[in-house]
Amino acid sequence: MVSRKTLFTVIVLIIVSPVFGVILADAVGYHEPLDVAAEMLNLEDITEDINWTPFLDYTVSGLPDVLGYIVSGFIGVGVILGLGYVLKYLVSRRKYEA
Amino acid sequence: MLSLVKKVSLVSALAAGIFAAQMLNWPIPGGTSLHFVGGGLAGILLGPHLGFLVLFIVLLVQCIVFHDGGITALGANVLNMGIVAVLTGYYCYILASKIWGKSRKARLIGGFLGGWLGITLAGIVCGLEIGFSPAFPFGVAITVPVMGVWHAILGVIEGVITAFVVDYVYLKAPYIIPYLKSGKVGYSGK
Repeated sequence: MVSRKTLFTVIVLIIVSPVFGVILADAVGYHEPLDVAAEMLNLEDITEDINWTPFLDYTVSGLPDVLGYIVSGFIGVGVILGLGYVLKYLVSRRKYEA
Repeated sequence: MLSLVKKVSLVSALAAGIFAAQMLNWPIPGGTSLHFVGGGLAGILLGPHLGFLVLFIVLLVQCIVFHDGGITALGANVLNMGIVAVLTGYYCYILASKIWGKSRKARLIGGFLGGWLGITLAGIVCGLEIGFSPAFPFGVAITVPVMGVWHAILGVIEGVITAFVVDYVYLKAPYIIPYLKSGKVGYSGK
């Protein structure tokens, strides 16, 4: 469904991504701008209270942030490709039935 | 025409690529960040409907799996990146192809404008949403210029990447890119 070249590009992007999303972000003390704005407005952060995912903000419990970010990237791509396979299956079946 | 099955394959491949590209979130000292969004690119490569689907899938996975963006902001994110940026990219490319035909110039300028203007308009619409929000004390007179100017500056990178990816895909897989003479974008070739 996905060419080897595309898959290779995606894998490289994911492996490189913590340099930007974790290491440089920590180096400059980055926080989401709207989160900062919300904090300045004294709005209550309820993320932890309503959180439903074990991969909150691209982290994986028990793993260092860099590794968790990479694993999260692969999980995200896996879910997207999985959705693609389901859609492809449904489309193929509809075509066969028609 | 490409089959529906092939289209689904391309949608998921592009969604996976954009998801991975969005993870390269480059923090900028001063409180903002820069990352490729891909709305304009998706609109140019796959047309408005499938382009929307690509961004919707990316945003849905980010929201549901990683709590990124927030479930209550999903609709706004989809509007900004999945509709505004996608449609802007699509129509910018249509315009460029009408002016410069099937040339490389059309691909590069159309791609650049589609990516840059797409992200800039998406930022402006986001500024409107924030400015009209009763929870935010600053009105649109402040939020729109702030969001618009920052996105217009940082969006240059989005435009450059979009232009080169469009050009590259055209050279490697021209059947994906619009058959310019027909005036239609997205799967009208072959």
